[in-house]
Amino acid sequence: MLKFMRNKVVGIERKDEDTLQAYGMLEDDIYAVELEVSIGLSDMVIRSIQGRFKRWTTPECPKAIPVLQQAVGFCALEEGFSQKVQKKIGRKGCRHFANLLVECCATAEQAAGLIRGRKAERVVAGSKGPGGTMQKEAKKHLEKSFEETRAARSEDRGGVVIDLHVHTYPASACSVARVDDVVVEAKRIGLDGICLMDHNYVWDRARVDELKRRHDFLILRGNEITTDQGDMLVLGLETPIQGIIKLDELRTMVSGAGGFIIAAHPFRGFLLFGSGQLGLTPEKAMERPLFKQVDGIEVLNSKVTEKENRFASEVAKGRGLPGTGGSDAHQVSDIGLYATRFFSKITSERELIDALRGGRYEAVAFKKEKDVF
Amino acid sequence: MPHILFFSRNRSTGVEHAEDGFVKAYCRLQDSLMDAFVEIKVLLPDLELKDVRGVVYRSDQGVPSDVNESLRKAIGIRIGPGLLKIMKGLVGDREDLNELLNMLDECCQGVILSFTKDTLAKAPEDREKAKEYYAWLVKENVRLYDSCIAFAPDSPLVDGMKPPKGNDE
Repeated sequence: MLKFMRNKVVGIERKDEDTLQAYGMLEDDIYAVELEVSIGLSDMVIRSIQGRFKRWTTPECPKAIPVLQQAVGFCALEEGFSQKVQKKIGRKGCRHFANLLVECCATAEQAAGLIRGRKAERVVAGSKGPGGTMQKEAKKHLEKSFEETRAARSEDRGGVVIDLHVHTYPASACSVARVDDVVVEAKRIGLDGICLMDHNYVWDRARVDELKRRHDFLILRGNEITTDQGDMLVLGLETPIQGIIKLDELRTMVSGAGGFIIAAHPFRGFLLFGSGQLGLTPEKAMERPLFKQVDGIEVLNSKVTEKENRFASEVAKGRGLPGTGGSDAHQVSDIGLYATRFFSKITSERELIDALRGGRYEAVAFKKEKDVF
Repeated sequence: MPHILFFSRNRSTGVEHAEDGFVKAYCRLQDSLMDAFVEIKVLLPDLELKDVRGVVYRSDQGVPSDVNESLRKAIGIRIGPGLLKIMKGLVGDREDLNELLNMLDECCQGVILSFTKDTLAKAPEDREKAKEYYAWLVKENVRLYDSCIAFAPDSPLVDGMKPPKGNDE
């Protein structure tokens, strides 16, 4: 017997010389929504949208209808169009509307290609280097805090607390935190260092050295790499990895470079059900081949649930792997939610890797411990 | 002007939960340019892709000769966040396989939604109790907060809740 079914139907009508009208319907066991989207044929820009719910779940869902207007003006040929719709219409409105809107536009694009007799070319967005500035007022206010936290840090000379999982913009497109602001915040709350873990991005050593000098703060370089077995926090690898790599290939490269691999948020699950519902136990999870390839497991991450963190911790213990903590910060306020406390001093990336291998550290809920928010 | 459709598309995805711990999902796409079918077999509890197969019956781009060979590169990955990106990375970002990968993704999304459905079906009929139920769901999972308009910071379903600041381990 079918447990779930989803049907999506889209029809494209050519309204006039330069207008395509898409009629879309999504009907599944949970939702039923409809869209009528008007799209320019020459530029593939959304000119108007009308949406309707036929079935929905929460009493708040119908409020997603006006949010659809935010997509008016979006260009379906733009690089990252689908992600933009998910972000602006899915996250701020309804994911099902977002899904159907993407389907309507993809279908319209096919129709437009047929009409034009050629495939439309995608606009490739230019890349930008990392950087950023801070407003003077905020800087002044925070300088005061630095002095207080520096004093507090000097009391604890036995070791260091480092947020091992920090994303910055634009090195990570999903982050909104500029590196300078991240460092300012890390100092304000009393962290001893941060490790930049931007997605498939190797920070230039000279650039980071300059940041360290300018901020008088420990900034280390890592790289969050997506593999066939999930995301990995990699330290000590200078080679840029583009696209998806198999974990065993990454293992070989990192071993060759004398680096260290931490499985990032290994049990990050789904929005409305957990691994328990699937029957996953720590014992079964320990059998996953990936845990034979990594050197450590991230057991505290702020983007997963308490249960998922606990689960990761149980698996780490069961496999005899060390556990680390990192905020997985994508905005400045996330910095230091979780971190790793090392019981020895760390001043360089090599010392960090040696310390990680040595195993003398623990994952900590840093902000909560320090009561700094 | 008669309202004749210039282009049409139907996409249908179905999910079956089998007794042997496997979940089977399939997606059929038929539109003016293409007719194709993708089927996956997923093993619980890891939601690991154990089998993938696809057929292209008709395509304006021609039928790729290596459909199954390419799709099978996704075998071994687990359904979870970033799935489409991982699949595209493993299978290759080829235009002639692009739609098949979207169909594979639809199958995986269908599997997720088949479990999601069970959670949503437990929501009480009573409005106040339903509100409590959804609020509990948000407390259970920080990622749900601000994930859509129903769980936005100003929504009554998360009334009184502070924005998540990570977990209190």
